Amino acid sequence: MTLAQFLQNMLNGISIGSVYAIFALGYTLVFSILGIINFAHGAVFTLGAYFTYSLAVGQFGINGLLSGLNLGLNVPFAVALLIGALAAGLVGVLLERLAFKPLRTRGGDSLLALVSSLGVALVIVNAIQYLVGAEIYTFPSGVFGDIKPALMFQLFGQTVVVRTVQIIIFTVCIVILAVLGYLINFTRLGKALQAVAENQTTASLLGISVDRMILATFFLSGFLGGVAGTLVGTSFGIAGPYFGVTYGLKGLAVIVLGGLGSIPGAVLGGLFIGLAEAFVPPDYSAYKEAVAFAFLFIVLLVRPQGLLGRSLIQKV
Amino acid sequence: MALLELKNICVNYGAIQAVRGLDLEVHSGEVVTLIGANGAGKSTTLRAISRLLKVREGSIHFEGRDITGQAPASVVRMGIAQSPEGRQVLARLSVLDNLELGAFVRKDRAAIKSDISRMFQLFPRLEERKQQSAGTLSGGEQQMLAIARAMMSRPKLLMLDEPSLGLAPLIIREIFAIIRNLNAEGTTILLVEQNARLAMQHSHRTYVLDAGQMTFTGSSQELLSDERVLHAYLGG
Ligand SMILES: Nc1ncnc2c1ncn2[C@@H]1O[C@H](COP(=O)(O)OP(=O)(O)OP(=O)(O)O)[C@@H](O)[C@H]1O
Ligand SMILES: [Mg+2]
Repeated sequence: MTLAQFLQNMLNGISIGSVYAIFALGYTLVFSILGIINFAHGAVFTLGAYFTYSLAVGQFGINGLLSGLNLGLNVPFAVALLIGALAAGLVGVLLERLAFKPLRTRGGDSLLALVSSLGVALVIVNAIQYLVGAEIYTFPSGVFGDIKPALMFQLFGQTVVVRTVQIIIFTVCIVILAVLGYLINFTRLGKALQAVAENQTTASLLGISVDRMILATFFLSGFLGGVAGTLVGTSFGIAGPYFGVTYGLKGLAVIVLGGLGSIPGAVLGGLFIGLAEAFVPPDYSAYKEAVAFAFLFIVLLVRPQGLLGRSLIQKV
Repeated sequence: MALLELKNICVNYGAIQAVRGLDLEVHSGEVVTLIGANGAGKSTTLRAISRLLKVREGSIHFEGRDITGQAPASVVRMGIAQSPEGRQVLARLSVLDNLELGAFVRKDRAAIKSDISRMFQLFPRLEERKQQSAGTLSGGEQQMLAIARAMMSRPKLLMLDEPSLGLAPLIIREIFAIIRNLNAEGTTILLVEQNARLAMQHSHRTYVLDAGQMTFTGSSQELLSDERVLHAYLGG
């Protein structure tokens, strides 16, 4: 492998890996607070992508209830991303109220939460298909405004390509990680979330409303899922209602690899898997999806607790 | 009017009746002690007041308002704080974070800061360890932190569940001196203690619980010299 190829793979890997990281953090937050995996997280990811698409592009295809519709809102991408993510956050809140809370208050087994979140995921996927069909939606190249689609530079006579969307993805992810880190470690809300993650009874004796903190967690989780869905959608297109399923599974690989419940673990795991995929030779790219799980398998043999062990919400 | 009034409350754990028809009153400005053998239902009573447990029957009023159906967080906001049995510090958070979270229901940032320095004056060992995670403190230090944290909400009613548990005699005296001081400054206190004699010496009134029911109540002074109480609870 030449240096240029190496650099190219690194750039590709870090860009997609940073999306995996923020997506996986959505699982991590919920796991830290409730000790359960939200299997509808992949569906929220998908919804986020469609939300942003509707706002920024809004041109629908030939299938589904909305066929032929052109919303024509043409909301600037940054605003659409934000609104799409906020909407995904609200879906997260609804999810908690519909799929998780009813079981929790009845003292149901956490396995039931798994099943009910899978159920909600199916409903979301089917609703999307009903509305906009199963076709592929891509963001037009001009969605970021009038900027060059890629930067190219030469390295020892070979070309390295940095797509604009990769730079945008990376920047958005870094900003989100920084804000999330600040929120959790340095704000009243973050401290309260850590308290609830550690001991719900003690937290409520301090006047912290556990119920509200759970809602906040699902909102943050949905927001992260929505941003991730949009970013992947702009980079590779929205591959249809089942778009989030593969990413949902990959996200699970990321959190198990990084260590369940660990925020730094999710970030590390995301980058790790992103890079691992990027270095899969082009001839084998059909097997890219298997790479995440192969890595997971190997790491778990050596470190069953994941790269950064099991620690609930902690300092980033 | 009583600050806190329990009327005929019953609390169960599944089929186990832990508290059976308890009446209890705490008046503004008092220190009230709750004593009784292991398993008598003392902690259960405090948990019910903090709304951590459902009350099957009866009612709890605070400042004349019925709080029987309230959520735990809202009774803290109304002015009831508890330092629970077995300390329950947030082990992964720092000492300072624990204290700041104690003031979670308050918004007066400047006053919170000065209250934290006051806690550090009361418990100098906590100040030396303020950046340390609370789980690394010794048992006694964690107890101090739990008490200080409960005080951080500036409660009208402070409930302490066995504050002397696991502490050295010298520290126990300090804790009781602090309780006396807090009370002199206007905090009403409901105290659960194994160390019955000391607690009664530092309180106005005492309730004696047995198997979830009240057996004796009266001024601490009188009960301290009551033959039956002396015999059963004071080892006399
Ligand atoms: N979580 C629980 N589940 C079932 N039973 C419980 C639970 N907690 C307490 N009990 C029972 O309720 C009764 C009262 O317990 P409680 O903790 O209130 O006693 P206590 O007076 O505080 O005792 P101690 O002095 O030992 O702390 C006991 O019989 C105890 O076994
Ligand atoms: Mg007890």
